[in-house]
Amino acid sequence: MGGGIDPVTLAIVNNAFVNICREMGITMMRTAFSPIFNEGLDFSCVLFDRHGNMIGQAEFCPAQIAASLFIVRWTVEELGVDSFEEGDVVLHNDPYRGGAHIPEHSVIRPVFFDGELFGFVANVGHLAEIGGKAVGSFAADATEVFQEGLRIPPVKIVSRDRPNMDLWRLIMANHRTPRNTWGDLNAQIGSLRVAERSVQLLLERYGRDLVEEAAEELMDYSERWMRTEIRAIPDGRYAFTARMEDDGVVERPVTFHVEVTVDGDRLIVDWTGTDPQVRGPINATYGVTAGATYNAIFHLTDQSIPKNSGVYRPISIIAPPGSAVNVVYPGPSVGGNTETHPKLADMVIAALAQALPGRVAAAEGGTACNFLFGGFHPRTGDYYANYHLEGGGWGAKDYDDGNDAIIVKNGNCRNTPVEIFETRYPLRTIEYSLIPDSGGPGRMRGGLGTRRILRVEPSTEVTVNALFDRTKPGFGAWGLAGGGTGGRAAIMVRRKGDAEFRTFSEAFGTVSPSKFTNILLEEGDEVLIDSPGGGGYGDPRARDRERVARDVYEGFVSPERARDLYGWECP
Amino acid sequence: MSGRWLPITTQVWETAVTPCDCCGQVVPKRLWVAEVEGEEHRFCSPACVELYRDYVLPKLKGEPRT
Repeated sequence: MGGGIDPVTLAIVNNAFVNICREMGITMMRTAFSPIFNEGLDFSCVLFDRHGNMIGQAEFCPAQIAASLFIVRWTVEELGVDSFEEGDVVLHNDPYRGGAHIPEHSVIRPVFFDGELFGFVANVGHLAEIGGKAVGSFAADATEVFQEGLRIPPVKIVSRDRPNMDLWRLIMANHRTPRNTWGDLNAQIGSLRVAERSVQLLLERYGRDLVEEAAEELMDYSERWMRTEIRAIPDGRYAFTARMEDDGVVERPVTFHVEVTVDGDRLIVDWTGTDPQVRGPINATYGVTAGATYNAIFHLTDQSIPKNSGVYRPISIIAPPGSAVNVVYPGPSVGGNTETHPKLADMVIAALAQALPGRVAAAEGGTACNFLFGGFHPRTGDYYANYHLEGGGWGAKDYDDGNDAIIVKNGNCRNTPVEIFETRYPLRTIEYSLIPDSGGPGRMRGGLGTRRILRVEPSTEVTVNALFDRTKPGFGAWGLAGGGTGGRAAIMVRRKGDAEFRTFSEAFGTVSPSKFTNILLEEGDEVLIDSPGGGGYGDPRARDRERVARDVYEGFVSPERARDLYGWECP
Repeated sequence: MSGRWLPITTQVWETAVTPCDCCGQVVPKRLWVAEVEGEEHRFCSPACVELYRDYVLPKLKGEPRT
């Protein structure tokens, strides 16, 4: 690895940094109240030095890669490093200050050792309900940030280990499920104390000088490694353009454009040419666009590179302010993190497909199928709210099929089990299955999407919101190298007594069939959620015959599609 | 690298943030103000001036890049 510290010690310190972050995450998972924390694992954990460099990160939610990178640095710069005292915790969820979207709350705690500041421990977590115009705080038709929930700039929620109860009361009064907020935020804050103690133990064991020197060397090592990876990509400019079907407010596609320049050992990823900021909430924050860019590059480079500030140094990102890839105040952005991030990441991957054909994958489903609902629970009388994500198909690679039913690549979250769903919420699962023929055809097939049908239980009213994409023809997950497009997503409703499912636009007159807010469903109504399939890779007629036969046998591909697209006849 | 640091001072009612003229990222506390080809720009850091000169300007002018 070079430098003055032996490689074994460096590896031990690096593993300690990562494990401190993992321990922080596991603490949150075990102590938080909401399924999005303890089942979905929608959080990230990081460790920083006192100069604002990230020195450790655990592999939780990639959506927050850049958010966690920038939030701590910018918050410390904005407040001033001297403003932090031992036992403080700063809270913020401002999407314009590095955040990915407003439901994600960051907490930052300084770590002191022998009375001197060493660095910061921090995590970012998605709170399931933070107020605003829609239950679940995912207003798919929001036109301003104020409709998306309570926005909190960097403020001390804990001062010298004493909670700021005035601030707590203000937050509690603006969230629909304050008890969950109390539990989840305290899980975040509590996990910081666990991490702080572990950092101090590390410093006691190895000494501050060695740990700080190791952190510096590890960042330089990661930078060198990333530069080596970039140098292996042929120099050139690689571009890709993609569209999203609408922004939830205006019924018009939104165009995104990226140009990736490989110049020796550095990368410039330029999003100039993307449409101006849109009225609806699919705008990406700078944190989302940077996170998607890094996410894509990590998919294409050696996954063993230690993830610290050094790994980001060779990558420059240009995201024009006021565009759909860098929303400015007071534009809405709640869907940018879930809907736009996966497309942006897949665009960078697709742009580099010409240079790295063996490493890339076709596009994934690319929508988190955000389905949010809430109301008064018929058994408890308490108000509940839940944020549900649905896994879709991933893109095929040169060497394998895409995975089935996986949450978007910015999520790394888990599918919530049916049992958890039904135990906590008054919605019965009628069907949960893989969708045949939803994987894009190819020599390697795209992963399959899923179908879930939920029925509202007796004596219940449920208010629902959705923020999907890829429901319209022409917007499916793209294939590569001759592979076909993945199946589309759908969010539909069958009112009690109806024979057929209809779109929410047909049933309720929503502007967008895939993005809507505050629709009231009643006993016996059913919601159908189809997640999209992934794109295929290569010519489907070149697919191994045994693979096609197995797909038909398993029910993943219909005999008709096997015949028409793969040229395979059922014996 | 010629230029100067310009502190960002905001009133409590000013809740928007300032982006870099080149890369678009947030500038939390102070801007690096530099003149490029006779025009003053506000950057997040001196390094971004180089990116602006080497990459953005040639692109704006439509110059071929190597």
